[in-house]
Amino acid sequence: MFNETPTTGPGHGAMLDILARARPDRLKQHAETLLTTMGEINVIANRTGLVMVPMRDTVKNVDFHLGEVLVSEAHITDAAGHVGYGMVTGRDLERAMAMAVIDLSVAARGQDDITASFLEQERTHRAAADEERMRQVEATRVEMETF
Amino acid sequence: MAYVATRGGEKAIEQAERLFRQDLGTIDAQRVETIRTTMPYLIDRVMGEASLYDEELAALALAQTGGELSEAVLVLRAWRTTQPRLAIARPVKQDEVLTQRRISAAFKDIPGGQILGPTLDYSHRVLATDVLEGKPFAPPQVEKATSPAPAKQPSLADWQRQQGLVAPTEPSDIAPEDIPDLTREPLLFPASRAHRLQSLARAETGGVLALGYAAMRGYGNAHPTVNELRLGEANVLVRHPRGTEFSAGRVRVSQAEVTSKEKGGYLELGFAATFGWNEVKVIAAATLDLNSDEAPVGSPVHEEFYLYHTESVEASGFCIHFKLPHYVTFQSILDAMRDTKAKKAAAEAKGEVYVAEPEEEPVL
Repeated sequence: MFNETPTTGPGHGAMLDILARARPDRLKQHAETLLTTMGEINVIANRTGLVMVPMRDTVKNVDFHLGEVLVSEAHITDAAGHVGYGMVTGRDLERAMAMAVIDLSVAARGQDDITASFLEQERTHRAAADEERMRQVEATRVEMETF
Repeated sequence: MAYVATRGGEKAIEQAERLFRQDLGTIDAQRVETIRTTMPYLIDRVMGEASLYDEELAALALAQTGGELSEAVLVLRAWRTTQPRLAIARPVKQDEVLTQRRISAAFKDIPGGQILGPTLDYSHRVLATDVLEGKPFAPPQVEKATSPAPAKQPSLADWQRQQGLVAPTEPSDIAPEDIPDLTREPLLFPASRAHRLQSLARAETGGVLALGYAAMRGYGNAHPTVNELRLGEANVLVRHPRGTEFSAGRVRVSQAEVTSKEKGGYLELGFAATFGWNEVKVIAAATLDLNSDEAPVGSPVHEEFYLYHTESVEASGFCIHFKLPHYVTFQSILDAMRDTKAKKAAAEAKGEVYVAEPEEEPVL
């Protein structure tokens, strides 16, 4: 199973999470680097489309549709049949393709040092941004008192 | 129907559109980006009502329509139909939302605590006219806490359920592809709860507010207290072709629970949620949900009334259609009026009393 690879670094789901939210320029640049050493790639899909997002109502526990999110998708394979897939929110086909290229590279050859480093840098960057925001949010915590 | 095809005016129509667009000037990527980054709450409102989440497209729609909200929502809904649906995400659960604002007006000590988040709730609303005098308004920076707020906050309703305050529920076991979907099927009454909440999620903010406010002022049967209001970011959880679940990104969401009184030994709750941060809309919508069950047919809080009348594109479309040529309809009204006057005059000339025939309402 792919989920067991790569053997080091984040698991597949965590890796895809990082790639989908990586800084676009760095993501595309890293994919370009990998492409130079990859063989022929077959593009199955590279398109925009919609993902319907349901939500669970907290009162009656009923799932309902909140609305659709615009996404960009890329689905590619190599000659050996390995699959690369990218899906990101927004209208950026290159970003989705870059994500798919990195995913395919890892599926076919495992996680090289440069990719592992890239993933760690992006994970750290995103975590720092989230922490910064949530420290600001924490500053608004309020203790209500009644008189 | 009494419509009639009109002929002519093609040049005037073309020039009218040109005049509208000329007044807005050149629309470029910079203008779209400026709208996107400086008006996030307006973008959120448009995305919610369009039922399409993409900040860039919402900003473009606003730029292209000069901020005419119903037109912006219309072009986004129309554009949506050009796109294939690629997947249905895993349902967003409240306790998985990256929560940035969470308050309760009903309980001061809620598990996880209350976080005001970004709000003007307790601020003076003063217009910064100094900006117009050349003095930019630079907001002071937030004094950050030493540790971050928890990324996730527990569900208050679940905690209340554990305390026996809120009625227990059955676990949800519906597959995402089986969730009723208003974009694929008509809204019928009585509506399923999934249809009601989806319809409210994409409803027009002003319409929901007006009807929700009517309920709050006493035209409903329940006065709301906010049980929980939450603004946050939800992951869009999709699957890789090999089955791995991952987040394709985050979207801003709002949700509100309102409560009123005890019923059957439990607190009654109403619920609503929408794309984007739009707390007025979800509080008003949750109030309508709360009032629905015992609402008299024809009242503003009956679901058929509020769901039909807060559907943005249908409501604005029906309203503006009245400015399109209705010449035949109106001519028939004039003919009837002249005929009545003539008959009345003839009757009076003979010293008789004219009794008008019962009128039929014209079908527009």
